[in-house]
Amino acid sequence: MEFHFDWSVFFESIPMLMRGVKFTIVITLGGLSLGFFLGAFIGLMKLARHAFPRSAAITYIEAIRGTPMLVQAMFLYYGVPMALGIRIPPLTAGIIIIAVNSGAYIAEIVRGAVQSIDPGQTEAGRSIGLTRSQTMLYIVWPQAFKRMIPPLGNQFIISLKDTSLLMVIGVGELLRTGQEIVAVNFKAFEVYLAVAVVYLAMTLSIAKGLRMVENHLDMKTTR
Amino acid sequence: MEMIKIINLHKSYGDLEVIKGIDLDIKSGEVVCIIGPSGSGKSTVLRCINRLETPTSGRIIVDGKDIMDPDTDINHVRTEAGMVFQQFNLFPHMTVLNNVTLGPVKVRKMLRSDADKLGLELLEKVGLADKARSYPDQLSGGQKQRVAIARALSLKPKVILFDEPTSALDPELVGEVLEVMRQLASEGMTMVVVTHEMGFAKDVADRVIFIDSGVIQEDNNPGDFFSNPKNPRLRDFLGKVA
Ligand SMILES: Nc1ncnc2c1ncn2[C@@H]1O[C@H](COP(=O)(O)OP(=O)(O)OP(=O)(O)O)[C@@H](O)[C@H]1O
Ligand SMILES: [Mg+2]
Repeated sequence: MEFHFDWSVFFESIPMLMRGVKFTIVITLGGLSLGFFLGAFIGLMKLARHAFPRSAAITYIEAIRGTPMLVQAMFLYYGVPMALGIRIPPLTAGIIIIAVNSGAYIAEIVRGAVQSIDPGQTEAGRSIGLTRSQTMLYIVWPQAFKRMIPPLGNQFIISLKDTSLLMVIGVGELLRTGQEIVAVNFKAFEVYLAVAVVYLAMTLSIAKGLRMVENHLDMKTTR
Repeated sequence: MEMIKIINLHKSYGDLEVIKGIDLDIKSGEVVCIIGPSGSGKSTVLRCINRLETPTSGRIIVDGKDIMDPDTDINHVRTEAGMVFQQFNLFPHMTVLNNVTLGPVKVRKMLRSDADKLGLELLEKVGLADKARSYPDQLSGGQKQRVAIARALSLKPKVILFDEPTSALDPELVGEVLEVMRQLASEGMTMVVVTHEMGFAKDVADRVIFIDSGVIQEDNNPGDFFSNPKNPRLRDFLGKVA
């Protein structure tokens, strides 16, 4: 059978894919917002003075980074609810999975950025009588946060692409929506190409937005 | 009255004993300069006084408070003993004024408007009121250090600890910082100054201390210290730097 590319299928599938894009965006933003808080918490735990929070943080980070996200998704969606005797809707599960997964990577971003701040800054803060947490809040964190922006933007892109793995738990995100269209029209080439183009449009937009934020920050303040 | 009393201070980093038993009393209003070769432990002594470093043993009393006593609020002690660093350590993400008002607002819980008024007064004092809205990176080294002095003054400390405040400056900028320090000394501020500026020590100090190998080798008035040093290591040191 001779293959010929059907442009009309390609273009018609794009509006249909928007239903999935909505889920992809909701899961990415929801997951990353939670993942940021989780990552900030775990990242600061890794810098704690006491050994216990430090090793707890290391264990978490290593466990997540050392296992495939697909396995984490299956475990959290099918495994954990079974153990707890509860049911989690796929969308909620998707957000939790992205949060738990990105949290480990964000923890390392946060730790690295905080550690990169000159210890003299902390000393200066403590020398005027600020407490440890005030010094973190007013002096170290704002400077560290600026350094987190590029790697966080990178994580944003990674997590957005990772949401496609959530099709295995039945979240109606972009890739699964594409798969559903293919199941009806069998036009795998056109539809999956359209899916790829839509992902690319989103990741390129994030990259562009990120550059704008960085330029803005560069202009606003020095260092 | 004793502002700072150091009794048999020892400090080790791992196996390396850096401070090997130092006793030092500094009276209110006194200006004490500390000189000595690189690595002799000058910064370590200074940083033990506000407990940026924790002494290994010994006692340090600052304004009547034992800094090693677990009941002592170390953050309060730090407001009584300000510090000026060699590398300035200004907060680069804050304006000059906010660098100076952060302590009053967050530590003293002063109203923003009162803190701004105080901050501008202090910047005026160091000759930088016109830079209040600038960021540290827009200042010269000498200006940065004067802001750092204003910041140290913002909590109305009873003593200021200076760790080589002019060592990171281009030679032509040293004078403006020393000028501010002279003025503070003349106003009766208690000051402990680690420095290589022998001229400043001669003119301004009430006492000069020579630290070498983690002990005080000489503690004398500036006249005798420089013109009639007793300790052979000090004679040797002065011979090299002069
Ligand atoms: N955090 C640290 N860990 C390990 N060793 C340290 C630490 N801080 C200082 N030292 C060592 O302690 C000794 C004394 O250091 P200190 O900074 O007090 O010297 P200094 O007299 O201030 O010298 P300089 O004139 O170079 O500033 C040096 O040998 C230094 O290497
Ligand atoms: Mg030093």
